[in-house]
Parts: sequence; C-alpha cells; structure tokens
Amino acid sequence: MRALYTAATGMVAQEMSVQIISNNIANMQTTAYKKQRAEFSDLMYQTLRRAGANSSNQGNRLPVGLDIGAGVKTTGTPRVMTQGNLLPTGKDLDVAIRGEGFFRILMPDGRTAYSRAGSFETDDQGRLVTPEGYLVDPSITFPQNSSNIQISQQGEVSVLLPGQSQNTVLGQIQLARFVNKVGLQSIGDNLYLETDASGTPQISNPGVDGMGNLLQNQLESSNVSAVTEISDLITAQRAYSMNAKVVSAADDMLQSTVQMLR
Amino acid sequence: MQNALYVSLSKQVTLRREMDVIANNLANMDTNGFKANDVTFEEYLSSKARIAHPSPADQRVSYVRESGSTTDFSEGSLQQTGGTLDLAIRGEGFFVVETPQGDRYTRNGSFTTNEKGELVNMQGHRVRGQNGPIQFDQQDSNITFSREGTITAINGIQNQVIERAKLNIVRFNNENALVREGNGLYAAAGQTAQPVTEKTSVTQGSIEKSNVRPIIEMSRMMEVMRAYQSLSSMMTNTDDLRKTAINKLADTTS
Repeated sequence: MRALYTAATGMVAQEMSVQIISNNIANMQTTAYKKQRAEFSDLMYQTLRRAGANSSNQGNRLPVGLDIGAGVKTTGTPRVMTQGNLLPTGKDLDVAIRGEGFFRILMPDGRTAYSRAGSFETDDQGRLVTPEGYLVDPSITFPQNSSNIQISQQGEVSVLLPGQSQNTVLGQIQLARFVNKVGLQSIGDNLYLETDASGTPQISNPGVDGMGNLLQNQLESSNVSAVTEISDLITAQRAYSMNAKVVSAADDMLQSTVQMLR
Repeated sequence: MQNALYVSLSKQVTLRREMDVIANNLANMDTNGFKANDVTFEEYLSSKARIAHPSPADQRVSYVRESGSTTDFSEGSLQQTGGTLDLAIRGEGFFVVETPQGDRYTRNGSFTTNEKGELVNMQGHRVRGQNGPIQFDQQDSNITFSREGTITAINGIQNQVIERAKLNIVRFNNENALVREGNGLYAAAGQTAQPVTEKTSVTQGSIEKSNVRPIIEMSRMMEVMRAYQSLSSMMTNTDDLRKTAINKLADTTS
C-alpha cells in the first residue's frame, strides 16, 4: 500500500525539521549564528491518466489528469542570512559587521574561511586571532605595551604606543562578500568555506563597495527568534504525529483485508 | 452473488487510491507552495447480461472507478521569513523557472542566487524575468521586489538605485490541466501561459506555505479507513453466505 511509504517520507521530513529547529535553538546564543530552515518539496507523481489525452475519437480531451504523489523530500537546508542584533560588550576586540560581508580567517591548513563572528583575541605574539586561535587575514600584530585599541567603521586598526600622543595605524581589516552567501559551506566554529555555489569572494575594505561597516565593542548575536522556532517545533511535531496516524490507518486497512481470509 | 464482491472490491481499490492521496497531502503539509490534491470518482455501469425480451432486463450493476485528480489551487497561508529572496504570489499566478526539460511553473517562491548572481530556485533552476534570467551584480544590496514584480537594487559602487529586471508571473486558463512533476513544479501540457491581471501581486520576505488543511485530511482519512473496513466485513459476510449455501445445498447425508 503506497500510503504507508508516502506517510513514511512525511515522517522522515518532519524528523529532519525537528533536527534543524533543535540546532537553531541550541545556537540561540552563538555569536553571529545564522539560522537554518528545512526546505521541502513534493516527490515525483505517478500519472495514471494524463490531462489533455484524447477521451474519444471525436477529439474530446480529458480536462484533468490523474496524478498520485509519492510523498515529500528535503531539498535543502538553506541558512537565513539576515542581520542579527548587535550586542554591546565593551570589549575592545569585539567587532560586529553591520551590513554585508565576512571576516577572512586563515585556517591552519592554509585555506581561507569566512566568518561573521567578530569576537577576536590576541595570541602570544600579539596577533589578532579568533577564539580558536586562527589568524585573521590580513594579519594585524599588536606591539607590546600598546593601549587604546581603536577599530574604525572602515576597518582601520590603530593603537596608542607608549610615549606617543596620537594613535598609530597598525593595519586594515578587510571583508569578503559573495554573490550567493547562502551557498557557503558551514564547517562549525562559526566558519564558512567558499564553494562552487557561493561564487568567488569579492574583497574590499568595510564601508565601501556596498560592504558593511565595522562596529567596535559590539557583537552580532544570532538571528534565531525563539518564538518562531517554538511555533515551528509545534508544527513539525504535529505534522509528524499526523503522518504516523496515516501509517496506522493504512495498517488498519491492510489488517481488515487480511481478516477477510479466514 | 459475485457482483457484491466485485462491487465492494472496486470501491476498495478507489479507497486505497484516496488514502494514497491523503497520505501525500499530509506528507506535504509543510512543503512551501504545495497545493492539496484530490481524486474524483465516477460510476461505471456494467453491461447487461440479458436484454429485455421476453423477460424483464437485468439490473445494471454499478461499480466505481477513479476519473481524475484535481488540485485545490487556493492560496496557502503566508509565513514571514524575512529573507530578501523569499517571494510569495498573492492571487493567481505562477513563477516561471527554466529546467532542462523546458519552462516549468511553480508557486514556491523560496529563491536564492547562484554563483553567477542569477536568481534560482532551490533546485538551481533559473527564475525567468520578462527578459530572460534575472541577474544581480556582486555589489548589489537592498534588493527590493515591488508588488508588480519589478526588482530594484542599490549598487555598492555607484550607490544608486538600479532597476534589475521584472519577474515573469503567468496564469493559466485551466489550472487543473497542469501536470504535476514533483519538486513543486507544474508542466503546461499544451496550455499557453497568459499574463496575470492586476489582482496578482508579489510579497517579498514571505513564503506561501502548503494549503493542505490537516484537520480535513485527517477526518477524510478516518472516513476512508472506516469505509474500507465496512466493505471488508461486507465481503466477509458475502463469502460466509456463499460458504453456507455450498454446505447446505451440497449436503447429501440426509
């Protein structure tokens, strides 16, 4: 009985939906986390009668066809790349991007990853790194005894060196943007990798060419909305149990068929 | 006698078909742009075993068989997603996407861009504008769709509003003759796409959800299940009747 398998695809899809919602909720407090959503589409149809086929030799045509669907499948889990709220943290090396763009992070294996999480630190040599210790590209090194770190909206990093009255410019933070940022691959640690679908990065300074501005002492929070996630969770859960009911109803029908044979 | 069995059987076959359709509707209750499906049935009269003269004619026995599937094209509810490239059509009409098999039509407006900056759906098929594919520039931001489907963007370098393209939204005279192909796509099957009227509009930042009404599907499911079960018991009774007849009539011991 096809209904059994059709309902099973529905249960699989809803299970996927619950997985994604729980991951979103788990990452509610993750810096610059972008929520995912499950995207479903209907599976193929078996056409038993095709609309427009001749129903008589006089040229009458069937106005409607007879198509029976085979269920649902998950097409993708795209990320919703909207801006998260900005949270003031008061920490000098916390930088949020307001608008388009990603920080460029140099991975230990030599690849470049992209991230919007701007909670940076310095390592033992004074270089600007992510909480995992990965270097920010282009590299910026803070000399010892430097104070009063300033990061401008355009990404210029400057510090006050001992014995000087004015800030010295140390370097420039650059941002990358993609024509299809939804196509980036997530690798965890708030990092994304370039893929064939994302297109090649376009690199430029913050605040120019449509790039976002940098805001120091702020962090971008995740764009997960608790209310939406919970109502999605309820929907998914109910949809799951309805599909389960179809399985048991189809099973009842089969059982009554079997009982005819005594 | 046999007829009662066959009539019940014909109904059971259609009930199973109806169950398949309900299962598909419920499986797709969360599929964007999905339209609920339904099957229609018709009476099928058997030919007469005996014609009128001289004795009265046979009763013609009527069976049931499926005649077609119809689609409920009413609008699904809108879910706000906030996505720039999430679009919903209010009123009748379809988006046009280019597939390798030719143009296909869909109500699912969950779009994205590909690596070349073209507007595509989640399967990677390009969405058609009125003048071919819709192309964005890498520096585009603040992409806006007007209610008529005109797409504007602010270009980062020139920092001015540029009109990019206009969505091609079409309608059909007989929506029910469209052939469902899965993935939320419909094929025209010989019909010509017509331009939409002014009543159709595009909403940005929302997605049209499935128009399946779960409560109705559930109650239909109960109805189908009970009908199937009562037919099963009727068939069992008919079978019992026949068994008794055979036993009684063939009883030669007395």
